Amino acid sequence: MSQDLEQSFVKQLKDNQNIIHKICRLYTSGEDAHKDLFQEITIQLWKAYPKFRGDSKFTTWAYRVALNTAITLYRKSTRSISTTEFDNSKHFIKQEDYNFEEEEQIKLMYKAVYQLNDIEKALVFMYLEDKDYEEISETLGISEVNARVKMNRIKGKLKKILNP
Amino acid sequence: MEELDLLKKDWKKNENSFKQISENEIYKMIHQNSSSVVKWILIIGIIEFALMTTLGFFTADDNYFVMLKKYHIDTFMSILTILNYVVVISFIFLFYRNFKTISTTDSARKLMKNILKTRKTVQFYVWYNLGMFAMIFFVVLLSTCYYDERMSTMLHDIGEKDNAIWIWTVIIGLTLGMFAAMFAIFWLFYRLVYGFLLRKLHKNYQELKKIDL
Repeated sequence: MSQDLEQSFVKQLKDNQNIIHKICRLYTSGEDAHKDLFQEITIQLWKAYPKFRGDSKFTTWAYRVALNTAITLYRKSTRSISTTEFDNSKHFIKQEDYNFEEEEQIKLMYKAVYQLNDIEKALVFMYLEDKDYEEISETLGISEVNARVKMNRIKGKLKKILNP
Repeated sequence: MEELDLLKKDWKKNENSFKQISENEIYKMIHQNSSSVVKWILIIGIIEFALMTTLGFFTADDNYFVMLKKYHIDTFMSILTILNYVVVISFIFLFYRNFKTISTTDSARKLMKNILKTRKTVQFYVWYNLGMFAMIFFVVLLSTCYYDERMSTMLHDIGEKDNAIWIWTVIIGLTLGMFAAMFAIFWLFYRLVYGFLLRKLHKNYQELKKIDL
């Protein structure tokens, strides 16, 4: 029984691991830190798995546990040093249609996002993942209106970082 | 906002480009130990409970009761001991109950709140014990001065000396010093927990609260 549980968990996690990778990408810098947070999230997901009933989607459930691990349970500081430039080449396959100006701007955007605090990053993460404000507010435990207000502030903040 | 949507485009474009972790690696990971704050809070909490509980109960041999009777505080101490048992059991129950409410599937804010609440239970227990210890110490000290013949003779002798004030200063100083040292140890514990373990959590909790103000 427990082996079945383990098997189904490992399979589901393997198929949906990009969720975790994306969170690690936002909250850590460097391969070791990425792996470390990935492991802690995996452990937390596994610990919560027996209570996962499947009445919600695995991904929805995993988003929440993974984000909670990154901003609450994970002991090491998840804030990257703001001066660390994000190394695109390590993580991404080079695109054929290379637009230099756009690429530069994206790089700057990542850098700006790294300067945000843990909670702001969580909001940005969910925005990038196309989550609606209802889910954002439920995941973080704040009201929907305030989630919207905060998101607008973050946008303003990012603008300021990009155009000082 | 144009910039953030540009980022979103890139984010989506690259979402499948992460180096994939194999099933084998995941198997290995789930058998590793967690290093989450919740685990550390549980460990530190249990250590503190054990430490405090040994501090709270005096070695109750026959001599001890004879001494209490002689100092006329036997009833007082018996009531205190029973009270202490009740408090210890309630605290352990509360700690266990709060610990059980910690769930990673709650909202971030609720999760943080429950972790902080669990931690606070231990903290209250520590303060209760330190307070209790200080009170018992002074009650025993005062009753000794009152009812112990050797002690009262000694106090009387000190009173007759010219440098009585200095002797008193030293005695009081030593007593206060001992208490200060003890409180300092627990303050360090406190700093360790809040500074090292929970600083990030606390900061994020405040940030969430600020958003919802």
